[in-house]
Amino acid sequence: MRQPSVIARRVAAASVSLVVAAGAAACGPEDNDAKSAGGDSTPHKGGTLTVLNSDPQQDFDPARLYTSGGGNVPSLVFRTLTTRNRENGEAGAEVVPDLATDTGRPNKDATVWTYTLKEGLKYEDGTKITSADIKYGIERSFAPELSGGAPYLRDWLVGAADYQGPYKDKKGLSAIETPDERTIVFHLNKPEGEFPYLATQTQFTPVPKSKDTGTKYEEHPVSSGPYKVVTNESDGERLVLERNTYWSASTDAERKAYPDKVDVRSGLDSSVINQRLSSSQGADAAAVTTDTNLGPAELAKVTGDKDLASRVGTGHFGYTNYIAFNPTIKPCNNVKVRQAISYAIDRSSVVNAAGGSALAEPATTFLPDQKSFGYEPYDLFPAGKAGNAAKARELLAQAGYRDGLTVTLTHSNAKDFETSPEIATAIQDALKKAGITVKLQGLEENDYSDKIHNVKTEPGFFLAHWGADWPSGGPFLAPIFDGRQIVKDGANFNTGLLNDESVNAEIDAINKLTDLDAAAERWGALDKKIGEQALTVPLFHPVYKRLYGEDVKNVVISDWTGVLDISQVAVK
Amino acid sequence: MTGFGGFILRRAVGALVTLFALSVIIYVVFYVTPGNVAQITCGPRCSPAQVQQVAGQLHLDDPLYARYWHFLQGLFVGQDYSTGTSVQHCSAPCLGLSYQSDQQVTELILAKLPVTASLALGAMVLWLVIGVGTGVLSVWRRGRLTERLLTTLTLAGMSTPVFVIGLVLMIVVCGQLELLPFPQYVAFTDDPEQWAWNLLLPWLSLALIESATYARLTRASMLETLAEDHVRTFRAYGVGERGIIWRHALRGAVAPLIAVNANNIGVLFGGAVLTETLFGLPGIGQEMVEAVKVVDLPVVVGMVLVTGFFVVLANAVADVLYAVADRRVVLT
Amino acid sequence: MSAPGASGARQLWRRLRTQRSALVAAVVVALLVLVALGAPLLTAIEGQDPTTYHPSLVDSARGGVPIGSFGGVSAEHWLGVEPQTGRDLFARLVHGARVSLGVALAATVVQLVLGVVIGVAAGLGNRWVDLVLTRIADIFVAMPLMVVALALLAIVPTSFPRPVLVALVVGLVSGWGTLAKMVRAQTLTLKELDYVAAARLSGWGTVRIARRELLPGLATPVITFAAILVPTNITVEAALSFLGVGVKPPTPSWGQMLTSADVWYQAAPQYLLLPAGALFVTVLALTVLGDGVRTALDPRAASRLSVGTGRKQEAKGEVS
Repeated sequence: MRQPSVIARRVAAASVSLVVAAGAAACGPEDNDAKSAGGDSTPHKGGTLTVLNSDPQQDFDPARLYTSGGGNVPSLVFRTLTTRNRENGEAGAEVVPDLATDTGRPNKDATVWTYTLKEGLKYEDGTKITSADIKYGIERSFAPELSGGAPYLRDWLVGAADYQGPYKDKKGLSAIETPDERTIVFHLNKPEGEFPYLATQTQFTPVPKSKDTGTKYEEHPVSSGPYKVVTNESDGERLVLERNTYWSASTDAERKAYPDKVDVRSGLDSSVINQRLSSSQGADAAAVTTDTNLGPAELAKVTGDKDLASRVGTGHFGYTNYIAFNPTIKPCNNVKVRQAISYAIDRSSVVNAAGGSALAEPATTFLPDQKSFGYEPYDLFPAGKAGNAAKARELLAQAGYRDGLTVTLTHSNAKDFETSPEIATAIQDALKKAGITVKLQGLEENDYSDKIHNVKTEPGFFLAHWGADWPSGGPFLAPIFDGRQIVKDGANFNTGLLNDESVNAEIDAINKLTDLDAAAERWGALDKKIGEQALTVPLFHPVYKRLYGEDVKNVVISDWTGVLDISQVAVK
Repeated sequence: MTGFGGFILRRAVGALVTLFALSVIIYVVFYVTPGNVAQITCGPRCSPAQVQQVAGQLHLDDPLYARYWHFLQGLFVGQDYSTGTSVQHCSAPCLGLSYQSDQQVTELILAKLPVTASLALGAMVLWLVIGVGTGVLSVWRRGRLTERLLTTLTLAGMSTPVFVIGLVLMIVVCGQLELLPFPQYVAFTDDPEQWAWNLLLPWLSLALIESATYARLTRASMLETLAEDHVRTFRAYGVGERGIIWRHALRGAVAPLIAVNANNIGVLFGGAVLTETLFGLPGIGQEMVEAVKVVDLPVVVGMVLVTGFFVVLANAVADVLYAVADRRVVLT
Repeated sequence: MSAPGASGARQLWRRLRTQRSALVAAVVVALLVLVALGAPLLTAIEGQDPTTYHPSLVDSARGGVPIGSFGGVSAEHWLGVEPQTGRDLFARLVHGARVSLGVALAATVVQLVLGVVIGVAAGLGNRWVDLVLTRIADIFVAMPLMVVALALLAIVPTSFPRPVLVALVVGLVSGWGTLAKMVRAQTLTLKELDYVAAARLSGWGTVRIARRELLPGLATPVITFAAILVPTNITVEAALSFLGVGVKPPTPSWGQMLTSADVWYQAAPQYLLLPAGALFVTVLALTVLGDGVRTALDPRAASRLSVGTGRKQEAKGEVS
């Protein structure tokens, strides 16, 4: 996709930063090239892996990073209590132990979680990793100086809501206990069966207190993973990672760490990155990208070229682009109007605007179409391929808009092919057929983000998207549809302002489950139930296609991140 | 006050006033720009309480005049700031800290300036060579097909946005012909040869866009000189056309070329936004645009001041050089 | 320097007529303006409009590349269709001409008015007026267009018509500072000339002097300046689109087309070549016409490009 190298920084919308940091998903049935990375593909140790990125790793402090599953490049340096399974496809959506010996031992109602660290864990300087360091790492993520991470720790840990981090409050968080050097216990204020997923985020990486330099820590964070930072230039624009000799593969089943060196170069234009990967000259033959997808124009070129097509990794990250309604604003307060719009949507022209059928799959469910989310297919307002204008007109007539209707669609001016003008104009064009005149209101990115996430300024009809903090229905549905998560005086994500007793109760009930498969099934059912209220019109799920260089082997793309896992890649 | 000293003094005072006014304008403009800076800095899913803490830390709740005063203080006496674990000092002239990266803006600028300077100076050499060369050639072959062709070519460069020229050049030269590596910035101090190879395409892209101006200017000045009486006299005395063009005609073009060039360079020192973005050169322009997008006011103000400084400086230098080259001009 | 009188226009035309290249350029410019003005008519003849999607004309599986040769050229779609959307390229190109030329011309008018008024006022005013106005011009010369434009375009409510806003921002922020300084210098020179001094002695007011005696003398340098401002403004509009703050979709503009087309250079070259070609022809025609007009106005300076010619190139640096 065409984007000038807009630096995401901490600014990236929650869901967006996940995409940057992580990636995941099912390999489409049409091309499973991810597994067949070029002829003789036995991976060997050695060589230098080059990473060509558009966004610099400006935040390289584990407290500040907002990742799904620990991120891609960060995961080379930061080990966490648990981590994502580094496998292709569906298996990759599972959570597995990392620093801990298991994925966590809950008490009966899943409000207390206990972890034990493996033996022989060391930092890059040879000192021992202790449970107290993990506690400290989490505590410092509460400091206002180091803000940026996901909100769950603050919401879940007992007494953490107003905690301001260890710099101001030396006493620390009593919700985390470290009875000995290898044990850490978390006390939660409500049952959370998905705590093991949360423990994959970089806030769960150990930070030695004696090495903490506050806001300057990101210049050289202390490594617990297979690589350490040797160069960090211009605020993460160039990173050079070399082997951390104190890391041992015997304690780490997940990271393969084949290359001797990883050279991350960012600040590049996305079209340049794709051009370099396709040319694959010199050091670029051993190059990958962790943040740049193939755009439609590049795809058109790649599909005509056998060599290039064999070097494309395809993945699906749990992510949905949708239309959101604010049911307090006319005419979207009328459920018939919302349904009419749902029927009138032309998903094929939306998909084309988003990059075509290879880069986007039409969506009729809010949950991503993956098993780990508990995906249950449904299409409550069937619009067919090109929209059902007749049905839409009928509903509009019932709603009292016999002569058509004029609505304003708010979108962003970002060049992201998600909430951007291209998608908005595709919708505008489709609704015309159903007698709905759409006026477009394009806002600059900051303005857009402010307006749609503020209950006082939220427009009635706008484009939105949401990505998975981890591959489960919980972080996908709760922030958007849990009535108790409506924020009146700050950033609100429950844009449908839904506060339904039965929905809230079901969310609580599922959160108690520690059997994640059983939970998934119920998230799927809940998604369908919420869908009946027509508070959103799901548009499409993106498909990630990324090129990699000729010498790159062992390409693994999980359903968790949807993108190639840099810890698995070999260049020899 | 007259003479050179007076000129310098007047210009210096003028520059200070200009820069001061620029900083005030930027403060006001960004004060009314939409975007909840504290929320942007804190992260999209920060709670209202966290956002409040961040706003306090960055003095975002202070009235405009207080924030500007804070900025001036930093500029003249420096300021202290906390990293959480320790207190650091940012010594005067301190342009404050980036909201986003917590880096000192002055350090940020010093890191970006060599990139932008490399780009600007190299491009200048190229556009002078291409532009003046084309200008001379079109005078030499005036009235013939060559002249029209050259004029058209330089105008083609001028009328195409740099992001199109740059990308096409990159695809063809680096991707298809494999004549050059894809540019990525290497510091001059690290490896001068790699520095030059990597910057060649960005230089060329900029030069292709700018050289039309120089070609036209050169051609026009030369034609004017050639029409003058003394040149006719030379011709009558049998001085060769080549000698006339190089020794006499080109000399007349020097003064206006200097003036235009100094100006162009001044603006380029403020960053060639599009070129830097396309080629991934971590310079002033790229940083500035990105800072604007995230409403990182200290970075924006700092960068605008640096940019403004170079433009003002270049204008003054241009005037001096112009006066030196053309004695008729009086410095005011 | 003689002040062209009432017969100036006719005289200008007579001289212009003798230059073949300028004539051709004038015809091209006139055609472009006609195309821009007649865009709705032209697209009606073609039977298309610039905003309707044609999903069936693009290959969705291949990123939305147009189906058919030369980007889907057909009897219905004269120049083919846009990748991804299938919108008619001819319609977008001619409607884009409206926006691009309109924005550039409007911005140029703003720049010329500001530059001339402030320049003349500074030149004729007393010491303080001169100082203040010159300083203001300096500030705008030193102001980075892109930064201020990015900020201003975000501040103004979206209900404000976007093309007008873009034209205003470009016109108010860039280009005029240099022009004002040049006009001031020229005014100072003209002020000392006999006929202006005579007018002053005979008790004419400042405004009358400015209008009757100075403006004609300023015509040549100002037209020279304008000849480069217009194409520069077209590319500025393109640059703003590239940075995501130009004219808003679905309104087409050449700048916007170039921005989304550059990545399609390999897969659908005509998509890039059409707006690039249009821009090139426009700039070339305007430049040649500008040269011609200048020659016609001041035959003795036929070959002289004043310093101003290059100085306005400052605006150029903004789009690099």
